[in-house]
Amino acid sequence: MTTSVVNNAPNRIHVHDRRFGWLLTMPGLALLLLVIAFPVLWALFTSLFEYTLINPGFHTYVGAGNYAKALGDPEFLHSIRVTAMFVVAVVVLEFALGFLIALMLNDTERGKDLYYAILLCPLLMNPVVVGLIWRMFLHPSLGIVNYLLGRIGIPPVNWLGDVDVAFWTIVMVDIWHQVSFMIVLLLAGLAALPREPYEAARVDGASSLQCFWHITLPLMRPVIVVTLLIRMIFAVKTYDLVYIMTRGGPGVATDFISYFIYRSAFVGLDLGEASAMSGILLVIVLAMTAYLHRSMRAIS
Amino acid sequence: MAAIELRAVTKTYANVVSAVRNVDLTIGDGEFMVFLGPSGCGKSTTLRMIAGLEDITSGDLLIDGVRMNDVDPSKRDLAIVFQNYALYPHMSVRENLAFGLKLRHLERAEIARRIDGISAMLGIGPMLDRRPAQLSGGQRQRVALGRALVREPKAFLLDEPLSNLDAKLRATMRTELIKLHRRLGATMIHVTHDQVEAMTMGERICIMRDGEVVQVGRPLDVYRNPADTFVAGFLATPPMNLLPGRLEAEGGQLHAVTDGFRCALPRAYAEAYASHAGREVIIGLRPEDFHETPDRAGALGGLPVTLTVTTVEALGPETVLMASLMGEAGPEIATRVDFGREYEVGSRVTLHYDTAQIHVFDVETTKALARPLVSAG
Ligand SMILES: Nc1ncnc2c1ncn2[C@@H]1O[C@H](COP(=O)(O)OP(=O)(O)OP(=O)(O)O)[C@@H](O)[C@H]1O
Ligand SMILES: [Mg+2]
Repeated sequence: MTTSVVNNAPNRIHVHDRRFGWLLTMPGLALLLLVIAFPVLWALFTSLFEYTLINPGFHTYVGAGNYAKALGDPEFLHSIRVTAMFVVAVVVLEFALGFLIALMLNDTERGKDLYYAILLCPLLMNPVVVGLIWRMFLHPSLGIVNYLLGRIGIPPVNWLGDVDVAFWTIVMVDIWHQVSFMIVLLLAGLAALPREPYEAARVDGASSLQCFWHITLPLMRPVIVVTLLIRMIFAVKTYDLVYIMTRGGPGVATDFISYFIYRSAFVGLDLGEASAMSGILLVIVLAMTAYLHRSMRAIS
Repeated sequence: MAAIELRAVTKTYANVVSAVRNVDLTIGDGEFMVFLGPSGCGKSTTLRMIAGLEDITSGDLLIDGVRMNDVDPSKRDLAIVFQNYALYPHMSVRENLAFGLKLRHLERAEIARRIDGISAMLGIGPMLDRRPAQLSGGQRQRVALGRALVREPKAFLLDEPLSNLDAKLRATMRTELIKLHRRLGATMIHVTHDQVEAMTMGERICIMRDGEVVQVGRPLDVYRNPADTFVAGFLATPPMNLLPGRLEAEGGQLHAVTDGFRCALPRAYAEAYASHAGREVIIGLRPEDFHETPDRAGALGGLPVTLTVTTVEALGPETVLMASLMGEAGPEIATRVDFGREYEVGSRVTLHYDTAQIHVFDVETTKALARPLVSAG
């Protein structure tokens, strides 16, 4: 008899716990709904109307019209292309560089924490600050970069004003800013790898390169996938750097989606179309996030 | 195809723990050597130094006469079965087995042939497409063993390769390994805790303690002439009974004396032990040297010893009797007698001790007193 009472008790508490848990998360959830869901829903709603800042209001319902207009807009399509190129460039370069540095750090015995601390510095900086600092460094006539290049006989480069250079300048600054993110994640993955398979592989006759190829890469695969996806999602949304450094220019050389949407809304004043483009960006990011989520579940 | 030589090899971990001390050991080309010793005595460390996975703190390691201290493990052409298996978690069993062969660019048909042969021998054929995580402990261990065996290297380093198998499988694997050793003629070093493996598999056994080699020799020689009380107390189950006692000279004869036991030593022994006459010694009596009838207790007919039975362990083919000398209060010893007679706890029995088999050890050094070699059969 006594035992049955004791056995029931945890179940009852369990049910209570769950309801109580919901109760506790309610205020937080409500706040999240208010600050995240509401603007998103409002934007999606707006995207269905002809809504300009000159003539605001939900007067003319256009359905998918704004979406059709956006997808037919060569400037918008251009911004998608530029963004895609940017995402591929920074993710590939940051991954390659980040993995290399992570591998080296993983093999380092002494001073590891110091290197780690130094590498983390850029990551702790606000993108706006990063943009401002680099805009100063890269100033064509007053910047330290051109000054140093001049000392070794290289003529000054118009880092942010040259159509052919500006895109890669943004890529470079982004790498400087974000490569540590890759390093941190990949290093954590490397540190968690089991040591034993490496010993077995060495006795089996594998060189360090073969160990990397046959052991490290396959065992790191899940970590790599997740790292790449997270980085891609953030790269797609890059805004601050171009806003501070190039304003999408010169011309439309660095006109990334986020910046183009901002321009459409607050320069072109067409909030309806800008909202539609936000919707499209949202779908892209959501699709990537869903894939990320699936990959992470596959790990565990 | 590889003679392995250790010269004054020492391993110190983090400048504190001295895991292996000053080991001198030569393992002949094609020899089957067994490492035996209690947990933590440095067996795995020694093996890992030979494989090149641990730096040698001081001393030299030679393979076929060439100093190998600084040669990368991948260039030593050895195979090792790790105590913790160390399988490749992301590869199937088949890929685990094939990995080392692929690295050596063996032909695909040859790889398949070897994998078929080994997996049949080890009984892992049905699991070839599974991952290590989908195997039981004993299955993983067999895969680990298989991965080493398919390689057919110069020398095998086996760190307790059968420890996780059931008794029947272990017996089968024991014979398979011996057969394989004969067929390949490769040098093998086999680490084990198992007395039967140590006695039956090794051409020689090397007994270690606290990072040092205590005794090396053919199994039966080590069994018959243990170098000190440690080896005597370690080899065989139940191990030798070690009793504090004295050597007393009396009437021109030497007696080994302990509470409830007084044994006149054969003449040859008396001469060898004369230096310790009248001194404290440790007397070693093997359980299996006690017999139920005098005719089996050697040429001298044996010494009748009266014992009080305290525990009976009927093992099947034999019975282990724990019994005390000199009534209940006396020192307790283990004896091993044939199966077939019922013993009762508390009853008194008379067994006959084969006095030619007695061992005597020095109290201070714990070393065995040199004695006339008991013929090795
Ligand atoms: N990486 C290490 N760092 C410090 N000490 C170690 C390390 N590896 C082993 N040791 C120590 O070295 C000694 C010998 O260890 P080893 O693994 O060789 O023992 P073993 O004879 O194989 O024991 P077992 O039969 O339990 O496997 C032990 O005292 C152990 O604690
Ligand atoms: Mg060990």
